[in-house]
Amino acid sequence: MSELVTLTIDGREVSVPKGTTILEAAKTIGTEVPHYCYHPGMSSPAMCRLCLVEVEGAPKPMPGCVTAVAEGQVVRTQSEEALGHRRGVLEFYLVNHPLDCPICDMSGECNLQDYVHAEGREHGRGREPKRVFGRDDFGGDVLFYGDRCVMCTRCVRFMSEVEQDHRLTVVERGNRSVIDTFFEEGLDGTHWHGNIVDICPVGALVSKDFLHKARAWDLTHTPSICASCSQGCNVSLHTRDNLVQRIKPRENLDVNGWWMCDHGRHDYEWMNQGDRLEAPLVRDGGTSRAVGWKDALRVLLDNAEAAGTAGVKAVASARSSNEDLAALAALVDTLGGGDIVYRSPRADEEIPLKGFPGLARRRDLSPNARGAELVGATRVGGDDATGGLESVASHRGIVLVLGDALADQPDTFGQDAALYVFMGTHDSPAARHADVVLPVATHAEAEGTFTNHQGRVQRFEPALHAPGMTRPAWLILGALVAERGGGSVARTAAEAFAALAGRVPAFSGMDYDAVGSRGAVINESVSLTGD
Amino acid sequence: MAINVKVMHRPPPETTSYLRAALSGMALTFKHMVNPTKVTQQYPEEQTDLSPRWRGTHVMEQHADGRPKCVACGLCPTVCPANCIRLVGGEDDQGNRYPIVYEIDEFRCIFCGMCQEVCPVEAIHVGRHFENAEYTRDRFVYDLDRLMEQDHPSTLLWDPSDPRSE
Repeated sequence: MSELVTLTIDGREVSVPKGTTILEAAKTIGTEVPHYCYHPGMSSPAMCRLCLVEVEGAPKPMPGCVTAVAEGQVVRTQSEEALGHRRGVLEFYLVNHPLDCPICDMSGECNLQDYVHAEGREHGRGREPKRVFGRDDFGGDVLFYGDRCVMCTRCVRFMSEVEQDHRLTVVERGNRSVIDTFFEEGLDGTHWHGNIVDICPVGALVSKDFLHKARAWDLTHTPSICASCSQGCNVSLHTRDNLVQRIKPRENLDVNGWWMCDHGRHDYEWMNQGDRLEAPLVRDGGTSRAVGWKDALRVLLDNAEAAGTAGVKAVASARSSNEDLAALAALVDTLGGGDIVYRSPRADEEIPLKGFPGLARRRDLSPNARGAELVGATRVGGDDATGGLESVASHRGIVLVLGDALADQPDTFGQDAALYVFMGTHDSPAARHADVVLPVATHAEAEGTFTNHQGRVQRFEPALHAPGMTRPAWLILGALVAERGGGSVARTAAEAFAALAGRVPAFSGMDYDAVGSRGAVINESVSLTGD
Repeated sequence: MAINVKVMHRPPPETTSYLRAALSGMALTFKHMVNPTKVTQQYPEEQTDLSPRWRGTHVMEQHADGRPKCVACGLCPTVCPANCIRLVGGEDDQGNRYPIVYEIDEFRCIFCGMCQEVCPVEAIHVGRHFENAEYTRDRFVYDLDRLMEQDHPSTLLWDPSDPRSE
């Protein structure tokens, strides 16, 4: 532990490690000093001049983001002098700001709006006309409204320091300075530029995808895990009207810092997709009949009884949660034992974020391939997640399919099976010969955990209401196991996790509550470099 | 046992008559017949004067070129206590933010006027109007075109000469 320094902020004594800035020290006691240019993930140029605080003995107000704490220092962030300085700085920010909050996408989550409301002047005094830049397309997913910009240069520093691809710069000087791209190159072809929209403290950089789609205050934020690759970035699903409107990264320094890639950011339409399976179906000779859960599970178990001992072959999905996969493995054991296989797409190459070691869009494009391996599933098929199911397709015993849409399989899939159970979100041509079709929830509609490529177990929460009679797979499979093999049904995700921990050695001793919002690493020795 | 029973002393019937009371009543009637002050208002031939602050069905103001003034900021659906405004924003071909869908369910509306008060561009107004009869219920959900067609005057939520109501 490094040396501690004790200082006084707003009359409260704080002890922080040596070298901490005043702004970070104030955060530890819950005081947010307004700031634009400072971001914990990047360098501090101290150019926005908004985090000015009064330091006793200093001849002038000090910028909190670069001033290191000193022993015995007395800092006042809310004194008349500090507030007066910040009020002056905020007035300058509004000299050229168009105040177009009603049509600005940032409205409601804008730092300029918040700070001016909290500390700014009640009325503006400017009389001169405001300079006007208009709107610029930066390429990729980003639109730039120059008039709203406060010149904090967070976006320029993100591209140069974190993504390390110099695509943005400041052109012109003084009052006319503006962020711009180099020639017509823009941001096209970069993979992390969505983050500059997140870190823009005002509405200068906005997402084309989200433009005018929803107001910030209408959105419900649900902590979740990105399902776009095996990195397991912590994200927030922003929903309205039971639809995911956008995905934003959620801070977790052990996994993704403050960032996420553009592929994951825009991979949400599938969660909103309609035309879902909404009720359990029992199929008999080409006719499909919607039944209640009790009847569906009864038919399934009766058929399993009659299926004999030819063994089970199960197709799992690496997009299912650890709990789903463990419950599937338990069911396979209960029905007489067999193999579980899964298919997972692989990208050609990894896309690392150079400025944040350990973060990359991984080659493995499923969120829970590691979890599937730990539960005992075997990867089959090619890098495009097709093929590899020949032995399952013609199996004569019990065939279980969970979460794999079988898009590449012919409609003769499973026609020889004594019992073919298809559990998915959408009906599939390959489910034509299924005896029982069960609707299961996506990870956006259920609670559970994913294991990322590092072996870190991370929880996600339901953001959407599942349609119709859809249930999480762990609940359905757990009920089947309990009905057939005895024992109690896991009715909550925590109980399903306990069942997982009791079954899979890598998870033994882990606790759902202890995994918490930051995740926890599984027991076995793990390599932190991933695939 | 009756306590404090008051015994009314009526004059003997042969000394009274109904005639005087009847005549005085008829005198009042005939006086009103010739009195020019009319009390009954001949609605609908004659229209009522509504208060300038009467809050009735909505009006959407428009620009000279016929575009709605609304910029789809989302404040009116947010502030609406009856949750009767549905708004979907979008961008028109000139890059302006505008409402693709703007619907007010006048059945749900409680005519509080908060939508008008909160509007940053003075686009939506409640109006001085109360004759809203329709033949079908679905006609009471006013869409954007219908709101722009309304030609009745807008409500003044406050006296323009005294905006702070002092």
